[in-house]
Amino acid sequence: MALFTRTTKNLILKIDEFFDNIDLGLVVFREGIKSYLDKDIDAFERHIRKVEQLESNADRLQRSIENEMITNSILPQHRGEVSSLIDVLDEIIDTIKSTLNEFRIETPDIPASLNHNFISITESSISAGEELIPAARAYFKSPYTVREKLLKVYYYESETDKVSRETRRIIFQDMSDLDLARKSHLRYIINHIEKISDNAQKAADLLSTMAIKILM
Amino acid sequence: MILLFLTSGLFLGWSLGANDASNIFGSAVGSRMISFRKAAIIASVFVILGAVLQGSGASVTLGKLGAVNAIGGSFTVALAAGITVYLMTKFSLPVSTTQAIVGAIIGWNIFTGNQTDIKTLTEIISTWISGPLLGALFAAILYIILKSVKKHSSIHLIRFESYVRTGLVVVGAFGAYSLGANNIANVMGVFVPAFKLNDLDLGIITLSSSQQLFLLGGIAIATGILTYSNRVMEVVGNQIMELSSDAALVVVLAQAFVLFIFSSSAFSSFIERTGLPPFPMVPVSSTQVIIGGILGIGLYKGARNINFRIVGDIAKGWVLTPVTSGLIAFFSLFFVKNIFKINVGTTVAENGDSILRGTTYSSSAMGISEIMGFLITGLLAAGIIIVVLYFFAERKKKNELRKSEEKFWKNLK
Repeated sequence: MALFTRTTKNLILKIDEFFDNIDLGLVVFREGIKSYLDKDIDAFERHIRKVEQLESNADRLQRSIENEMITNSILPQHRGEVSSLIDVLDEIIDTIKSTLNEFRIETPDIPASLNHNFISITESSISAGEELIPAARAYFKSPYTVREKLLKVYYYESETDKVSRETRRIIFQDMSDLDLARKSHLRYIINHIEKISDNAQKAADLLSTMAIKILM
Repeated sequence: MILLFLTSGLFLGWSLGANDASNIFGSAVGSRMISFRKAAIIASVFVILGAVLQGSGASVTLGKLGAVNAIGGSFTVALAAGITVYLMTKFSLPVSTTQAIVGAIIGWNIFTGNQTDIKTLTEIISTWISGPLLGALFAAILYIILKSVKKHSSIHLIRFESYVRTGLVVVGAFGAYSLGANNIANVMGVFVPAFKLNDLDLGIITLSSSQQLFLLGGIAIATGILTYSNRVMEVVGNQIMELSSDAALVVVLAQAFVLFIFSSSAFSSFIERTGLPPFPMVPVSSTQVIIGGILGIGLYKGARNINFRIVGDIAKGWVLTPVTSGLIAFFSLFFVKNIFKINVGTTVAENGDSILRGTTYSSSAMGISEIMGFLITGLLAAGIIIVVLYFFAERKKKNELRKSEEKFWKNLK
């Protein structure tokens, strides 16, 4: 029994550490975008390295959590959903890493007048992700509170959509001096940043049904 | 010859183990909370303990209903109950070993011209109704308590589940013990009046004649659990209503309580001391109690997702099972007596003596106590070997997994 208690404790710690990784990844992403827009390349590189480390750690934790749940028959009735949740959260940090790498490889030329818009899109997209983490933690400790926590995720996701739509409108309608290739490139980068909040919404949908199921 | 007569009881025990163990561990195994191997070992050990240590209470009540006083009669009565269980299971009809044996005993009473004790019969029939009702009540109360504790403690889901898992093992052991204590009367109760064996001194415990029979019956139930209950557990798990792991824990605990109170003489006298009417010690159907428990939780949740046909099935079983079993017993006794010329029992006089003694057996003639001694030693040895093998198999599995995981990350680097 002592062995089993240790397994349970380890698994709880691993799940918490996984959430911490995603949470920290979101913060580092925000700082990475800011340093890119400020043209502070050293800081930007440092943030990319940090995100890569967090993403690799999250992958390792994901595999370990899934293995432990299967081998020790933990949460047999909810295992599939918990694995899916961890998978969707992992997609968030994967998107963070790939987006920062797009910036590093493609070095998009963002007009200074759009810096504020890009920061706004990043902020709201990241906020959707950040609000998701407490809801995901609550699923394990107080499932009654999950749905109220998710309201903010949906709010920030819709905010991201609005700001990015407005930014795309400015790029394609108000900035006639930009050529089409540059406009398309900027749109592509916006889509990438937006994908974080889309993934957060996907995870929120899943969490919402998971919470109902566990309360029934 | 003695073992040949006992085969019908042992077959009944085997089918009880195969079917009723699923009531205790079905949800836990079906939902993969506990492996079948672990569940089967726990259930087998505790069912035998319950049968030997606490099996006499319910058996005495069955004896009052009809003291089958010839070995041929005991054999036929148990066989009739076994055939009823088999037939009704085959035709997917609701069945309870308890009701089958009660019907068969009444069949024997009618055939041999014995009076059926109406008071005992009423006592038994009332528990068929009160058993599921009590199961429903206990389950609903326990479920409300568990839900409230879960909501207010903010305990981590994984930790909560580890407690539930430990609870399922402990409660399952208690449930198996109660099943053995209560239902052994169905399997071996009819043989008790017909067998007179010498006491078996095992050093730390002395087994009386009836306890030796209960031990044999317990082993038969355990064999049923080990050999056939796996497929029943897989199927039965969520038949009535889909159960969460904590609901499964509550249902099994409620069932164990109900079976326990209907087989514990200590509990019965405690209730009597408080001025309340004592609980009769009667074998009750574990299946019906568990169905009562599941319905109790279902009703608390607002009666959604409940298959209410199952309630009708229980009521159908109250009539159909004893009648079928009684008819089979009556006609079988006729054949056994008139065609095979085997004594199946006699009318018992008012003072309890047989007017014409039936054929009973004593252990001195057969040395069955010696066989029991060997059996117990063999069982203990087999138990120790199984536990050691299980421990090493589990350790080997974990080591192999750890090695493969290390190899994976090494190759990835």
